[in-house]
Amino acid sequence: MEFFDAIEQIGPVRLLKASFYAYPIVNALHIAAIGALLTSVVLLDLRLLGAFAALPKAEFVSTFRRIAVLAFAVAALTGLTLFSVRASEYATMPVFLLKMGLIAAALANFLGFVALQRGRSDGEVTAAGLRAAALASIVLWSSVLLCGRFIGFV
Amino acid sequence: MQMFLRGGLAALLLVLAAIPALSHHGWAWTADGFFELEGVIAEIYIGNPHATLDVDVEGETWRVELAPPSRTIAAGFTEDVAKKGDEVTAIGHRSRDSNERRMKAVRLVIGGKTYDVYPDMAPPA
Repeated sequence: MEFFDAIEQIGPVRLLKASFYAYPIVNALHIAAIGALLTSVVLLDLRLLGAFAALPKAEFVSTFRRIAVLAFAVAALTGLTLFSVRASEYATMPVFLLKMGLIAAALANFLGFVALQRGRSDGEVTAAGLRAAALASIVLWSSVLLCGRFIGFV
Repeated sequence: MQMFLRGGLAALLLVLAAIPALSHHGWAWTADGFFELEGVIAEIYIGNPHATLDVDVEGETWRVELAPPSRTIAAGFTEDVAKKGDEVTAIGHRSRDSNERRMKAVRLVIGGKTYDVYPDMAPPA
């Protein structure tokens, strides 16, 4: 707990805690990043599941994957910033810990899928594996969104 | 065409998923009638996203939610006017869930001083 208390005492974090403009701006950036992340992830997964078949798959997937990775980086950075303001409180919240676990699972799913894809010379994963990864991705990231939302309520 | 329909559907689902987010930080979770809580301050937090007090009432800890920090400070309630161990009366609305020891205050009374953190919603003094 002392570690989280120490985070709250960092100079810029203390400023953010009392700020009128900065906190809502960071909050807005976090929401924007989540929107971009969820949108790009869901579109990318739907493409893997067979939607938008008129668009070339490889380009579609690599484009939206790049957007998703960038959006995740912004979401993680702004999320850490929001967390720091009341770290010791959030760190004890079951729904916050569940959200972190779900993010870890979603990232593992993503890395596992990429590793599987790289491991095959033709760059194609078996249809069943691909569908499972895409569906898991949609479910996991949606659950992350829901948990994040609930942090404000519990 | 079908692609646009499917894309539109996906976008619609995302928008629908975001709607519950709009109801946060309001009063939707609180009961209608005024509620009064008396106890001893166990913890004070004045900061974003909103200020809170932990109040000890006969051994049970209640969470009293206040306004965002700017509004709380504008009401005169700062870290300088109260400390742990002070007696406090919080007036506002408690959670609709009667098992939950949580309320949102519109007014605090500490040491004979009144702080209306939501002046427009506070009862007549």
